[in-house]
Amino acid sequence: MKRILLTFGLVALAAISAACSSAAAKPPVPSGPVSDGPTIVAKDMKFLTTSVEVKAGQNLTLHFHNQESVPHNVAIFTDSSAGTPISIGEIVTSAMAEQTVPALQPGSYFFRCDVHHDMTGTIVAK
Amino acid sequence: MKSRTSLRPLDVVIRIAIVGLTLGTAYIHSTLGGLLFTLNALGYVTAALAVVVPLGIAVRFRWFIRIGLMGYAATAIVAWAVQGPYYSTAYIAKAIEVALIVLLAVDFARMDGNPIKVVKGELALLGSKLGRRAATGSAGA
Repeated sequence: MKRILLTFGLVALAAISAACSSAAAKPPVPSGPVSDGPTIVAKDMKFLTTSVEVKAGQNLTLHFHNQESVPHNVAIFTDSSAGTPISIGEIVTSAMAEQTVPALQPGSYFFRCDVHHDMTGTIVAK
Repeated sequence: MKSRTSLRPLDVVIRIAIVGLTLGTAYIHSTLGGLLFTLNALGYVTAALAVVVPLGIAVRFRWFIRIGLMGYAATAIVAWAVQGPYYSTAYIAKAIEVALIVLLAVDFARMDGNPIKVVKGELALLGSKLGRRAATGSAGA
């Protein structure tokens, strides 16, 4: 019995440490002036806005409108491997959220919902 | 293998808690949308039923249902640890699943005893049944 509990304890510990290490990859905190940015809408388990164009080189406020009772967010990464986060928005249900995105260099960036990884889109900074 | 099938008051409390926690995490997963979460929720509901249903076969293999549900919950925890998302509802669901695993382990220990002995006993029983069937088959041939 003790051995079983120990095994489960170790599994739980491994899971928690894995979660902590994943969560440790924090996006950069933007500083300086912030301009108003685009709105991304989620509905029917998909982003209605899958391609967004923004101005490069300036911080911006991204508006996210989740129009359904299922939790979603907008998480922006450098590319589709989702290894390097740029801005992780709050997970909301039937609500609007705002997130500050740090100035992007010209190029294409990947965004997804952290709850449903098949919900994806692209942000193009020009 | 001798599993205890009669329930003492504490066993009933533990079993109710197991069903409650299982349905709790099923409900949370059902609110997340998407095929994967919905299937996960259905899996938990099925397991909650299997834990208490008074069918002969379910009672006979309750030990396996306990181990299966522990493995199912542990897999859900590990999958979440790998891919997230890390937010309040997820933490609640994972806390429920950890509590569920602990209660299932306690229930297993109270009802079935040592899991290694249980598995060994079941394998021996299966081996002897298969051996008997093979012997009957060759005698009939």
